Amino acid sequence: MKIFKAYESGFRRSLNAWKGVVIVWFFSLLSVSLVALPMKGAIKAAFGKSMVTDKLMGGLDVEVLVDLGASLRILTHFFSSGLFFLILAGFLANSFLAGGLFDTLKKSDNRISAAEFFRASAGNFWSFLGISSIISIIIIIIGFLVVGLPAGFISNLHADSEKTPYIIVLISILVFFTIVAILNLVADYARSWQVTKEKKSCFKALGFGFNRTFRTFFPSFLMMFIIMIVLVLFNLLVLKILGPWRPVTGAGVLLLFIVSQLLFFVKVLIKTWRYGSVTSLMEQSNPDDNLV
Amino acid sequence: MLNLKKKFIPQISQIGEDNLQPICADKFDLREILLTTDLMKKTLLTILSLMFINCVSNSQIINREPLSPRITGYRIEAKLNTESQTVVGYMEAFWVNYSSDMVRDVQLHMYMNAFKSNKTTLYSEINSKASLKETEKGRIDIQTFTAADGANLLPSAQYFSPDDGNLHDSTVIQVILPQAVKPGDTVSIKVNFETKLPSRIRRTGYADDYYFIAQWFPKFGVYETTGMRYRMTSGWNCHQFHAHSEFYANHSVYDVKITVPNEYIVGTGGLLLDETDSGDGEKTLTYRAEDIPDFAWTAWPGYKVFTEQWEHVKITLLIPGERLEQVERQFTAVKNALEYLTKNVGPYPWPHLTFVDPPAKGSGAGGMEYTTIFTSASFFKIPVCFHVPEMVTVHEFGHAYFMGILASNEFEEPWMDEGINSFWEERIMDHYWGENSGMIDNPLLRISDKSISRISYVSSGSRQVVSNNEYSWNYPHHTYSMMSYQKTATWLYTLMGIIGEETTNEIFREYYRRWAFKHPSGKDFINVVNDIVRNTHGDEFGPDMNWFFDQTLYGTGICDYKVSDLHNIKLESALKDSTLVDTLKKNLPAHDTLYKAVACIERAGEVMLPVDVLIHFTNGDEVLESWDGKARYKDFVYTGKRMIEWIKVDPEYKIRMDVNFINNSMTQDPNRIPLRRFTNKIISLMQFFVSAFTL
Repeated sequence: MKIFKAYESGFRRSLNAWKGVVIVWFFSLLSVSLVALPMKGAIKAAFGKSMVTDKLMGGLDVEVLVDLGASLRILTHFFSSGLFFLILAGFLANSFLAGGLFDTLKKSDNRISAAEFFRASAGNFWSFLGISSIISIIIIIIGFLVVGLPAGFISNLHADSEKTPYIIVLISILVFFTIVAILNLVADYARSWQVTKEKKSCFKALGFGFNRTFRTFFPSFLMMFIIMIVLVLFNLLVLKILGPWRPVTGAGVLLLFIVSQLLFFVKVLIKTWRYGSVTSLMEQSNPDDNLV
Repeated sequence: MLNLKKKFIPQISQIGEDNLQPICADKFDLREILLTTDLMKKTLLTILSLMFINCVSNSQIINREPLSPRITGYRIEAKLNTESQTVVGYMEAFWVNYSSDMVRDVQLHMYMNAFKSNKTTLYSEINSKASLKETEKGRIDIQTFTAADGANLLPSAQYFSPDDGNLHDSTVIQVILPQAVKPGDTVSIKVNFETKLPSRIRRTGYADDYYFIAQWFPKFGVYETTGMRYRMTSGWNCHQFHAHSEFYANHSVYDVKITVPNEYIVGTGGLLLDETDSGDGEKTLTYRAEDIPDFAWTAWPGYKVFTEQWEHVKITLLIPGERLEQVERQFTAVKNALEYLTKNVGPYPWPHLTFVDPPAKGSGAGGMEYTTIFTSASFFKIPVCFHVPEMVTVHEFGHAYFMGILASNEFEEPWMDEGINSFWEERIMDHYWGENSGMIDNPLLRISDKSISRISYVSSGSRQVVSNNEYSWNYPHHTYSMMSYQKTATWLYTLMGIIGEETTNEIFREYYRRWAFKHPSGKDFINVVNDIVRNTHGDEFGPDMNWFFDQTLYGTGICDYKVSDLHNIKLESALKDSTLVDTLKKNLPAHDTLYKAVACIERAGEVMLPVDVLIHFTNGDEVLESWDGKARYKDFVYTGKRMIEWIKVDPEYKIRMDVNFINNSMTQDPNRIPLRRFTNKIISLMQFFVSAFTL
């Protein structure tokens, strides 16, 4: 019951925080466009007045891509460095904007103005950056230990059975996914708690996050695990919709853009729902949060 | 040319321990023998009885008639020792001197010695300086080597390295014969040998209890007569074992007995004639193979065996038990290849075919061909949309034709087996699995098999350092695969684009008719092309197609045709100035402006090929121009009311050697929709990706 209540409350809170969701979506579109639009210009220049683009109407044509020659190498470098920049910018932006989001979500019926949102974002930034950095480093290390090491070991192993390595890798990924769910929970509890405090300290917040996660492990984990599965399924659905969709008219391309941005908006909303559900669960368990 | 019918062609079965004398029909006269002594009469009886046995045993077992001249044959008794990872063997073999020369030596491959140390030619060529562990070493030790009359030949045997003079390489052995072999005579040898298998499988070896055993017995080189292939003088063609080369041998008959522990499942390139249980935990399997250039086999307790029939061919698949979901895929692939090659090249002449999907631990044996046995390559749970197992199966089966039946020299002209076979593999894959999805067929990404070859060739920075006309181990800058597989397949597609698909098929049918079970060279293939193209198209492409091969096979140039510009120039000023045009102007309404429309085409590469140029005008007219493609540029000029809207050189992308399709066309109004769509998807992809990386 506690979980359902958290879901319901989280969902309501996330809807109330729509302004925050719009800000997150807009920032994402803006930052990605900073990389994608110059890239589009470069691609356009590489193809010039060629009609070979007709070959791309049916989808990606690897021969055409390879024929780009030096331009393809430049585009690849541009894409990879752009992606690195975006991950970095996204990480910082998430640390910033999550402050506002969590602040909006802390009361179920609270509506917040944009100014308040950014004020809260700024106030929580350093603490949230610390929480995100520490949890991300832990995830990377655990990823290496839980998935990287077994995969590396298996690739050098002449096992009799081919099924065994396959199963080991699958289990590794599942274990990693489970650990990520737990660490997400820690981060969310920590951030949820942090926005209620005047004095900002990422270590104290993380302490609370770990404490709360393991004190209320079963309902918390189950709730987070289900939300993560929803997110994974949603991502697969997006891939299924956008991947094979190949509009051949200008209006179709515009529709593709609108639908893809709507889907991303929903994705941000689901993430906010996650934040809201964790906040709600925390408030249900101990509204005064005097655990630390 | 020898008349084979007049010769007594020895079969391997006649080389019993009691009958090792060289035998040739024109070497004895029965009436003369009858008139000699009693001893001779007894000899005659012995010979007659042996001849009777021969008559019985010489009868073809697999095919009614021999498909190839019986130049070499082998009878081998081999025992696999799974404790010491060795094969202990006894071999009787013959070689018939079909030349008109007196031959003073025989040369044999001793290829397992390539694994003897890290200083062999094999390991030198792969730049492996790390010393080999004892288990990684392989070798073949000859214990006894005698002639038919029992004479010990070992003292007159010596290793030598005809290709690189490497003193550490012992993969070719030369045996000086006590007496020169006369034309028509037969050399028979008896060899006791022990082959130690290497633990790191590189086409041959073992991994744990998995064995793939190839190049495991002493095998005759090919004695080439003057005029054969490129020979100026007769001699042995017996190359060393190289890292990037396959093999060359005579079509032979093989009678092979293999003894293995009972639990082992064996697959070979032969037909199983008999299986006996020796009662001591071992079994002996007797195989017969005819008209194949090599005999390889595999043994592993983990195989599951499946058989299916395709017309006259019994197909056997050996596959790990964990990959059973791929059985149907594998059979479909091999049957498709059989059907396509039978229809477009020639019949598959053997009634049996075995193919193997090695387990992961034996993956070093994957993707290799020994005519009637070949290995595929796959892995557990490979998605159906990735056609890699099918592609490997189709490719390796194709070698039954391009190397097996049409036994070109893989050392000296690797394009003839790998390149031609890749061309057919790509045609088969794209025919049966989809024109655009022969390799990958997923809604998100589709790739044809023929694209892979063109991509590899076009994107290679070393595509111009060497021509296709090179020995396999001499390709510099790691260009062996790109040149012999991908470039060849790409120029064969280009040839097909020029002369047409049906003419191409007819070329290969004729190539099969002329050269099946012989050793064709590149020039023999070109001669077939020239004959068929001349018969089909007359002089349309000139007196021969040598101009094509000079540029593609023997040349290093690239092909690149481009549209450099298109103009539509108003002729208004000319109309005003010219009285002649003034007359015209009077007749023209105001909106009927005249244009000089120019399509500017350039040849940016060195290769000159005939190309089509399609020009589309604003009023919907289209003109298809043919250009011989020889000049550096060509302008097509049209004067009239119509303007050029777009131009395409090689509009159907038939010239697949063209290294850049992007510059093949030009339009006033490019279609930007795919680019906008692509950008939209990139934006979404990045948004979701970055979001996944943030908490």
